[in-house]
Amino acid sequence: MRKLLPLLAVVCLVALPAAHAQAVEPKETPALEEAVKAGTLPPVTERLPSDALVIRPVELGTPGGSLHMLMASAKDTRMMVVYGYTRLVVYTPDYKLEPDIAQSVDVEDGRVFTFHLRPGHKWSDGQPFTAEDFRYWFEDMASNKKLYTAGLPEQMLVDGKPPSFEVIDPQTVRYSWAKPNPLFLPTLAGPDPLYIYAPAHYMRQFNAKYADEKALDDLVKQYRVRNWTALHTKLFRPYHTDNPDLPVLDPWVLKTRPPADRFVFERNPYFHRIDPAGHQLPYIDTVELVIADSKIIPAKTGAGESDLQARYLRFDNYTFLKDAEDHNDYTVRLWRTAPGAQLALYPNLNAENPIWRQLNRDVRFRRALSLAIDRHEINEAMYYGLAIEGQNTVLPKSPLYDPAYRAAWAAYDPKQASRLLDEIGLTKRDSSGIRLLPDGRPLEIVIENAGESTEQADALELIRDTWAEVGIHLFSKPSQLDIWRRRVYSGATMMSIDRGIDNGLVAVETPPDEFVPTTQGQVQWPMWGQYIETKSKSGEPIDTPDAQELRRLYKAWLDATDVGERAEIWRKILEINARDVFSIGLVAGVPQPIVVSNKLHNVPEEGIFNWIPGAFFGYYHMDTFWLTPEASSQASTAPSKG
Amino acid sequence: MFHYIMRRVLIMIPTLIVISAVIFTIIKLPPGDYLSSYIDTLRQSHEAVDEQKIAFLRAQFHLDEPAWRQYLYWISGLIRGDLGYSALYDLPVSQVVGDKLLLTFIVSFATIVFTWVVAFPIGVYSATHQYSFSDYGLTFLGFLGLATPNFLLALVLLYFANVKFGISIGGLMDPQYLDKPWTLAKAVSVLKHLWIPVLVIGAAGTAGMIRRLRANLLDELQKQYFVTARAKGLSPFRALIKYPLRMSLNPFIADIGALLPHVISGAAVVSVVLSLPTTGPMLLEALRSQDMYLAGSFLMFMAALTVVGVFLSDLALAWLDPRIRLEGGVTR
Repeated sequence: MRKLLPLLAVVCLVALPAAHAQAVEPKETPALEEAVKAGTLPPVTERLPSDALVIRPVELGTPGGSLHMLMASAKDTRMMVVYGYTRLVVYTPDYKLEPDIAQSVDVEDGRVFTFHLRPGHKWSDGQPFTAEDFRYWFEDMASNKKLYTAGLPEQMLVDGKPPSFEVIDPQTVRYSWAKPNPLFLPTLAGPDPLYIYAPAHYMRQFNAKYADEKALDDLVKQYRVRNWTALHTKLFRPYHTDNPDLPVLDPWVLKTRPPADRFVFERNPYFHRIDPAGHQLPYIDTVELVIADSKIIPAKTGAGESDLQARYLRFDNYTFLKDAEDHNDYTVRLWRTAPGAQLALYPNLNAENPIWRQLNRDVRFRRALSLAIDRHEINEAMYYGLAIEGQNTVLPKSPLYDPAYRAAWAAYDPKQASRLLDEIGLTKRDSSGIRLLPDGRPLEIVIENAGESTEQADALELIRDTWAEVGIHLFSKPSQLDIWRRRVYSGATMMSIDRGIDNGLVAVETPPDEFVPTTQGQVQWPMWGQYIETKSKSGEPIDTPDAQELRRLYKAWLDATDVGERAEIWRKILEINARDVFSIGLVAGVPQPIVVSNKLHNVPEEGIFNWIPGAFFGYYHMDTFWLTPEASSQASTAPSKG
Repeated sequence: MFHYIMRRVLIMIPTLIVISAVIFTIIKLPPGDYLSSYIDTLRQSHEAVDEQKIAFLRAQFHLDEPAWRQYLYWISGLIRGDLGYSALYDLPVSQVVGDKLLLTFIVSFATIVFTWVVAFPIGVYSATHQYSFSDYGLTFLGFLGLATPNFLLALVLLYFANVKFGISIGGLMDPQYLDKPWTLAKAVSVLKHLWIPVLVIGAAGTAGMIRRLRANLLDELQKQYFVTARAKGLSPFRALIKYPLRMSLNPFIADIGALLPHVISGAAVVSVVLSLPTTGPMLLEALRSQDMYLAGSFLMFMAALTVVGVFLSDLALAWLDPRIRLEGGVTR
């Protein structure tokens, strides 16, 4: 009896609209008409796969125009891969998986994955995209110890074992593991996806297995790298988007060779999506990214220099941006962010100092700290009351949400906090009312942070007052990202303040790794995370029963094949986290200003601006955003006037 | 004279070696290396850390080897004229720097010309009209320029340039001209943007130069030869140009040594605030992310220019002012 994941049902359902593709008659894109007439580009019917993906935009658009955005460094060209959000499988705005580049995906027992490609799908240079591209990546790249020194990516290993890979026909490939691999499809659909295919026809010229030795040597010299593996790695970085020659499947293709201060992306004439009226997507012809310092991006945006901007804008820029709305023909929208908390305190359970380690590990201490924070005051003072108060946990829109998780030990109750602190034995106080530690030193908590925003310092300033009431003295110590992280990892810090969990909109299929010790980046238990990450080479083994239980539940989740079982495990993990207050959340769902030019359409009024899930604009189909035609032609001729 | 030049040239070699060791040590001083800061940045933006790429970079940049070997790799490359490979930009250093040099040069050169054109007449005027009302006024302006923090002036000018003249904020040209070949329209756009950084960077330098010129000239004006020249009936202007002004030029020539590296360094703080595509912000970013090759090689390049610049200005001084004796220094 074959057990099917619900994913398969989803896959079958969404394969339906694709079947109507033939009914849509493709129209030639105006911007490409000339090239088609001249014969340098095949007509649209030959460029699209025979089974093009039909996307239903909010409103049908007009192709053309040029979109301007601001970015802070050349590395941000990768945002076009995030915003463009073209993957083998993608998440919809309701967080369901759908096939995208793949025509369909069959999943058996959560361990055998068969990808069917779209017949006639082509790379951005017009070469066919086939099973050979998957084979090239798996056999000639990932399995080559010289290229992938660390071996296959972790998400493709189950119990340390790689999958068996088969090419079934030029349009079909299969990956099979002995046990379920629940991380595989979510990784392929991530904002920074795992690429399991590479343009074989282009990459072969840089691979010693295929290329002529002499020609390859010349290329290595020309690019001034050490050997062919360095060259191969440098040129195949589809996510980093720094090689304009690399064929891609994304809606826009990089045309500027770095280094530069302005990057131009042009439409991919072979993109596989189409709208119901027969226009090949994306609607927008070119996207221009201008590089400016991140600190002046809000000012430049306010001066109307960006048509669509959210990156590098913060909530405290809102009033300034709103004020300039009328002069510069744009509208500021407020979207939600989806981290489990905008700000959270992390007591370091692996603190070096034995007294602090013991205190931080005492659940009563963590609960007392949480109860002594007036979240409502923080919300009103810093976010005009627009944020959600409570612990660092899943958000109301998540299917796993339970109001009790967010409310656990989150009410402002200094009396109970004092009682808990007394119970621990911190009863002695000094002349200024500050409690004394067992060794006689005052209870002074130093909260360290990366020093990157004033937001954290402001929140700590408010907490300082309410903590003082229960006899705790708070000091804030801003530092610098690298140094702060290093101090946390080594156990030198008592407590930190940082963003909460990244993904507050988890579903049952989302791995619960953020609630369980998994990496040293988790600043509440860095040593345990390091121990797991390095496969017990460094760090410390987990030595508290609750954390061990979390670890056990996580393993059970990975092995589970049943949705009900996974949901059950998820609840237990969330309950333990709520009960133990491993991190002390303050507020969540802080609004994100989104500046949208009035010429730009199909950008939702309300949405979630988030990395995962969300891929920022990715889930909202940036390829269906379109520009009012007259206005965009004006903009391209006249220099921008403030 | 020939011996002197030879000795100076030879002394440059140990100087540069010491500088290179100091640069290398200071860049290596903070804990961690480029990769650890790279991983932290990835974590902060919540992107997956690609173990594959990390392992690869580690081998490519010899990060597993002891520091002295890393130093030797770097320095042996420099000797062969290879500036190394920037991990931050993933390009050869020469390519990263090369692109920005022209614009940096334009900004710096314009600034120097601005400084001289403004400081010279003002300096001369306030020296010849010492303690007059206009001397006080100009001196006050000069001190204002010296005392105003550059970045503040930059922000204020940016705001007004945008609101009053509609000039795009930051950068050296309107966005549509970036990457385009040089045309008249592009040059005009650059000129429109150039005045802000020139004014801001030049403000402090101008004030300093006015003060120095004024002080030097005042010294000379009281000397007997000038009084004699005036007594013999030479017109005040001619007397001024012919003798004391020339004497007071020495500090300017001595400045050339410092000027040479300044031309390519691009005032970092102002450039960051104004988002100028010059080498200043690039150097800052390279240092922050511990990109050893980019930061180190660029600093070495500047050090070499300084050493050469000082040498050249010494020679120029000797040529300009016969009273200066180069050989005398040895016996000191």
